[in-house]
Amino acid sequence: MGYDDYLAGEPVIITAALTGGVHGKEANPAIPETPAEIGEAAAAAEAAGAAVVHLHARRDTGERAFSTERFQAVTDAVRERTDDVIIQHSTGGTGAPLSVRRQPLQTDPAPEIASLDMGPLNRYDHLTSENPRGMVDELYDEMSERGIKPELEVFNDGHLNEVGGLLERRDLEEPVYATLIFGGGTLSPPHPRNLLNAIENLPEGALFNTLGFGPHQLPLTTMGLLVGGHVRVGLEDNVYYRRGDLAESNAQLVARTARLAAELERPVATPAQARTILEL
Amino acid sequence: MSCPYLEYRSSGDGREFDTERPFCTVLERFVQPMRADICAGRYALEHGRDCEIYREHVGGGGD
Repeated sequence: MGYDDYLAGEPVIITAALTGGVHGKEANPAIPETPAEIGEAAAAAEAAGAAVVHLHARRDTGERAFSTERFQAVTDAVRERTDDVIIQHSTGGTGAPLSVRRQPLQTDPAPEIASLDMGPLNRYDHLTSENPRGMVDELYDEMSERGIKPELEVFNDGHLNEVGGLLERRDLEEPVYATLIFGGGTLSPPHPRNLLNAIENLPEGALFNTLGFGPHQLPLTTMGLLVGGHVRVGLEDNVYYRRGDLAESNAQLVARTARLAAELERPVATPAQARTILEL
Repeated sequence: MSCPYLEYRSSGDGREFDTERPFCTVLERFVQPMRADICAGRYALEHGRDCEIYREHVGGGGD
C-alpha cells in the first residue's frame, strides 16, 4: 500500500473505535457503554461510513469487561442494529491475564476480526501492558482456530520487529493487516515522518490502518488517506472534535473522515468491499 | 482488596450518572474504567503497587 493506491482511488476502510476501555463517560458523556448504547453507536457509525466497528465491553458501572458473556451482549446488540458492518473485538487488556484476554474471541458467532497487541506499552506510572510473545502467540492461535483475522496493533516501531517475529513463528494468512498507532508514552511519537517510516518497515504486501490518539487523530488519519492506507477514528482514541470541543458522537468523527476521503477522491469502502480487501 | 479511597457514586465532579460509578475520594473525581481495575484489585492489580495517586497520597510515592 502507498501513494500509488491513493492515486488509483483504492477504497479506504474506516474503522470506528466506539468505546474502548480506558476512559468513559467521565471523559465524554457521548461514549457508549451499555450494550444498547454501543449498538446504537455502531449503527450510526455504519451509516456515516464505517465498515468496521472495534468493540470493547463494559460493566454496568462503565468499567472494563472482558467476559465472553458481556462481549456477547455487546456483539448481539450491534448485530441487531446494524446492516452489514464488520465486527472486530479487542483482546487488549492492561493487567488482565491470558485467560481473561481470550474471552472476547469466544462469542457466537466469532468476530470477523480481533485486535492483537504486538508488545508492551505503558499505562499510568506503575502499570505496563506486557503482551509477552507467549500471550501473543496463544491469542493468535485461538484466532486462527476460530477463523478470526488478527489486526496487528503496532504501538511503536519496535512492534514492527515483533510483527516480523510473529510472521516467522506463525503462518499468517495474507494480507497481513496492521494498525500503526501514534500518541504519547510508549507509542510511536505522533509525527507524519513516523507514519511514513512505519509504512516503510511493514512486511511486503501488508495492509495498514492509521490510528492517532487525541489531537493527532485528524491529521494522521488524513495523511493515512493520502498514502493509500485505511484509517481508524472514534471516541476510544479521541474524545474531541476540535480543540476544546468534545465530539458529539462516534458517527460525527466517522462522518468527518468520510467527507475528507470524498474530498481527496478516495471512495469509502462498504463492509462488503472491506471484506474483499481484507480477505475475510 | 479494594482501595480504601474508592467509593461508588452516581453524582459528583459536576456530573450525574444513572448507574453508580467508581469515584476516587482522594482526587474527588470519577476514575477511568481501567483505573477502576486497580482500585478494585482486579486481575492481580494492587492500588498500593500500581496506583501512583494512592502511593503519593499515603506518602509512599516515587520509585
